[in-house]
Amino acid sequence: MNQSSDGTIQLIGLSKRFGPYLAVDNIDLDIPGGEFFSILGPSGCGKTTTLRMIAGFEQPSAGRILLNGENVEQFPPNKRPVNTVFQNYALFPHLNVFDNVAFGLRRARLDKEEVNRRAAEALELVMLSGLEKRRPYELSGGQQQRVALARALVLKPAGLLLDEPLGALDAKLRRQLQIELKALQEQVGITFIYVTHDQDEALTMSDRIAVMNAGHVEQAGSPQEIYEAPETVFVADFLGAANLMDATAFGDDGGGRCRVEVGGTTLAAALGDSALKGECKVIIRPERIRLERPGPASDGENRVQGRVERSIYIGSAFQLIVRLNIGCTVEVEVQNNGYQTDFEAGSDVSVLLPPEALRVLREGSDARVEASVEKDPDREAAAPAAKRSHQPEDQRAGSTRSIRRARA
Amino acid sequence: MSGPGNPRPQRPLTSIGARLRTLVANPWGRPRWLVVITWAYMVWSIVPVLIAIQFSFNDGRSIAVWQGFNATRWYWGDHVNSVWHDPTLQHALIQSLKLAGLDMLIATPIGVLLAIGLARWRGYGGRPANFLMLFPLVTPEIVMGVSLYLVFQYVFVFVHPSTTAQVLGQVTFSISYVVDVVSGRLLSIGRQYEEAAADLGASTWESLRLVLMPLLLPSILASMMIVFAVSIDNFVITQWLSCGAGCDTIPIKVYNASRAAPLPSINALAAIMVYLTLVAVGAAYLLYRLLTRGEHGKGSTHTDIASMGSIDFN
Repeated sequence: MNQSSDGTIQLIGLSKRFGPYLAVDNIDLDIPGGEFFSILGPSGCGKTTTLRMIAGFEQPSAGRILLNGENVEQFPPNKRPVNTVFQNYALFPHLNVFDNVAFGLRRARLDKEEVNRRAAEALELVMLSGLEKRRPYELSGGQQQRVALARALVLKPAGLLLDEPLGALDAKLRRQLQIELKALQEQVGITFIYVTHDQDEALTMSDRIAVMNAGHVEQAGSPQEIYEAPETVFVADFLGAANLMDATAFGDDGGGRCRVEVGGTTLAAALGDSALKGECKVIIRPERIRLERPGPASDGENRVQGRVERSIYIGSAFQLIVRLNIGCTVEVEVQNNGYQTDFEAGSDVSVLLPPEALRVLREGSDARVEASVEKDPDREAAAPAAKRSHQPEDQRAGSTRSIRRARA
Repeated sequence: MSGPGNPRPQRPLTSIGARLRTLVANPWGRPRWLVVITWAYMVWSIVPVLIAIQFSFNDGRSIAVWQGFNATRWYWGDHVNSVWHDPTLQHALIQSLKLAGLDMLIATPIGVLLAIGLARWRGYGGRPANFLMLFPLVTPEIVMGVSLYLVFQYVFVFVHPSTTAQVLGQVTFSISYVVDVVSGRLLSIGRQYEEAAADLGASTWESLRLVLMPLLLPSILASMMIVFAVSIDNFVITQWLSCGAGCDTIPIKVYNASRAAPLPSINALAAIMVYLTLVAVGAAYLLYRLLTRGEHGKGSTHTDIASMGSIDFN
């Protein structure tokens, strides 16, 4: 079921303006054929608009879209070699499952035999054989989702665009379909561009992820890169829980680690730009913090004292809120391994912030402020362009794919 | 009686008081006075119609004194004065059906295309055009009737007061109803199906023919029925553009006859108008329900029906 052409999708300087709002701000992405690529971001960050421009439902205000190396931004949707799985599926309610899947094949003027064969194949692929005569409303949400997939895949597009396709399903079905979707993508080998605001979904399925915020790409990379090596405060904060601490950096300590001061205590951070100096943020994931009983070894490097404020049982783990004596509160995740934990609320603990888990990031990004503004879903496209006009340009040293221009 | 060991006499009293209170002010109970007002209004508004219909079954020649029941006399039983046998009444019935049919067939397609055009309008002018569509609905009919009459009299002089003029007049204001109903449907189905069709390779024409039209069908049928009902009921505009007795419709005939020496056959004619209206509106509702059954988001169907209901049938 492989496309003859390779299915690369390139976005070059792509922008979309709705009136005064810059919904998509000069995006550059290069997606090789056969990749499962996710665009992750909060509501209103421009991810759906980006997808709709690739599909052809919106015309870019600036920039180019290349499919298989060919300029397509002047083509209408019906002339582009990509297909879309819509958020609410958009199955034609007046057609049965088979006719829905065959719709595109018939528009391509294929002969009846091929239409029947390929539609049947596609339905088999999504495990819906036998439901051909059903109407969409007679199917469960999960089944409708599969019909939408089959309807788009049956045309063997160069790229499949998925707009939060699992958003309407319950958590359990969602997890099951995530796995199926990934397996299906590997089977058909088509480029998938998957738009989601669910970081777990993006991390689980993607080969690469682009994290978007306020119309621009904050960072693009493999799930591991994005999670382990966030380049901006926004990315660190958006992907999973992250403890952010205000700090002052004093540059390299001679061993490739950055010396930072948090609340009067000096810590060593091995991740991030070790040469950093001045105001910065220090970031550590909750599961990377280690807790110990206070004892003789409590005074080593990167150890601070704290007190457990709350202990929350979340099944697979305990989530502890620990107030550190350096003046901040961190979230710590302790795996539930069946043993009684020693860390009841109110108990004193020695907290180890391992240098190899501490990351310094340059402050100055107001991404977090924007993120909280953007949580209002009605403000789609309301990227506050003016807000960002005074940002340092080089805040993501070493960024490979994400390019952002400060707008003067 | 007022002894502490004998509280019984007081209990019915307090419980009646409590009951009265709960009847009036029980916050968890149904708002009974609203129910009462609603029913009172329904009875008040429907009784005159029922009385008129009742006298269409009068055995005698009076429209005020009940002289026994006769199901057929004034409809077709009487060989001289029944609706069927009186040529003027029969002609009014036929004229009404003719106008309603033509109005339906002309106004619906134009209205549907207008609704699609307005809903998919890109750029300036969409809003004013949408607002203008409401104009015929809010303009007093007498104003519209006079204006049309004057226009045909002095500007488009090739249109004489005639059936043609009546059809033109009715189409003019009927289009608004079609646009209103179809726009509601277009809004509730959104653009997603057209986008999906385009995404799957359908041209604009294919997406209109294979996706949008089938999805609009319920509202198209519903608006046809509404146009039919509105046309059957219309008096003012139809009267202004009338060519005289030959152009009389049911409402005009009923109006004229009731000022002369009315027979129950006039009630029968009026009753037929009520039946036709009811059948048209009922059919519109049922068709709509039938054709949109099972669509996800039941709410949308209800809002559409509500928007149908928000149109007043003159």
